[in-house]
Amino acid sequence: MRKKIQAAQKMETIKQTQKKYGTRAMTVAIIIAVGLIVIGEKAAGKGLVLGALFSVINFVLIGLTLPRTVGHGKRASIFISLASLLLRYTLLAIPLILAIKLDQFNLITVLIGIFMIQLMILLDHLPIPLGQTRVRQKRASS
Amino acid sequence: MIHVAAYTGGGICMGLGAMGAAIGEGYTAAQANLAVSRNPKISGDLFKNMLVGQAVAESASIFALVIAILLLFTNTGTGALIKAAALLGAGICMGFGAIGSGVGSGFPGGQACLGIARQPAVTNRITTNMLIGSAVCQTPAIFSMVVALMLIFMDFSHSAFYPGWAALIGAGLSTGLAAIGSGYGGGMAAGACCEGIARQPESVGNATTTMLVGQAVSQTPAIFGLLVSFILMFKTFPESPALSASMALLGAGISMGFGGIGPGIGNGMTAEGAVRWVSRRMEHAGELMRIMLVGQAVSQSTAIYAMVISLVLIFVV
Repeated sequence: MRKKIQAAQKMETIKQTQKKYGTRAMTVAIIIAVGLIVIGEKAAGKGLVLGALFSVINFVLIGLTLPRTVGHGKRASIFISLASLLLRYTLLAIPLILAIKLDQFNLITVLIGIFMIQLMILLDHLPIPLGQTRVRQKRASS
Repeated sequence: MIHVAAYTGGGICMGLGAMGAAIGEGYTAAQANLAVSRNPKISGDLFKNMLVGQAVAESASIFALVIAILLLFTNTGTGALIKAAALLGAGICMGFGAIGSGVGSGFPGGQACLGIARQPAVTNRITTNMLIGSAVCQTPAIFSMVVALMLIFMDFSHSAFYPGWAALIGAGLSTGLAAIGSGYGGGMAAGACCEGIARQPESVGNATTTMLVGQAVSQTPAIFGLLVSFILMFKTFPESPALSASMALLGAGISMGFGGIGPGIGNGMTAEGAVRWVSRRMEHAGELMRIMLVGQAVSQSTAIYAMVISLVLIFVV
């Protein structure tokens, strides 16, 4: 029973993290895409949303496969990671192929969209040490 | 022939690129096992850390995916045969270049999991440090992607096939192989920093500074590799049917590529040791940083020898 509760809590934490970064990534992508479409760059806007959408799907799939990689030996973990990578990268290839084949999507903005989750994670964490340094400096000076 | 080279390059690129990230992710998961068994109460936080860590850590293999897809599906023209060498070089460059960063990014992820299990109160600091370290680890893979994109999209039709083909494959080998050591070494420093912060949370400033300096120096062999690649791509070589001329250029890329692996890892080991002890002995941070830099400079010398030989092969032989 206790194990089940812990597993449920674990999945809840993962889901919250995915929801947080997934929502941010899509919101930022849509806002920028609307701006691009307004200035006439329709393909660029559509490409960004497409890339970001697949970035979010990839992130959700990482969360689903992560608990499976833990609880096995090192070799089994590497094998599961490799299988998960291949599956997810097949999915990530879809927007890239679409962007290469169709003029409706801009390849460069698709590429930026694919890294939208990573950008959101780094933006969320990078200002923290700067903020902490400022707080420490203020404390020291006072 | 161009399609054959593009498909072969794409296969090499994705095959090698996936390998590094999978090993790195496997290492992180293995350390997470240990962390969960040490502190099962915070397994949710550990999975959250793993999730964000792996999302950033797998960037190198996504670069490889991008290059592989470009090689497979972009219409790169049916012109000069030399384009085939450029496309093969691009695949080799990105494939090898993603290995080090993929494996290296696993170290901060794994050590961060262990650190959070030890010190749950400083989870945010450890996660932030893991992400910074992991992001810096991606730099050699970015160098490889830059060279690969140049090889795919630049026009080499004015170059002579002999010895141009060797120069372009050499360019791919130079950055791709040299990036392995730098990516791996950078990851070692980042991993030690996560571990150090968990042991001594007050050391976060000193440890992070030492980690970043150590990682920056670890990137130097990859920069040498990039330099040799640029020379091989941009220098115009006179047409020569002699095999020796081609082999000299291919040798230049091989020399710098393999020559950069050891110093990259060695520099990472030095940085790892320095960061580990800075977090334990904060009062000696300055002294440890100096020793680290001297050690890295000595370790770097073999990469310089490799670069000198590469330059001799390009300009003298």
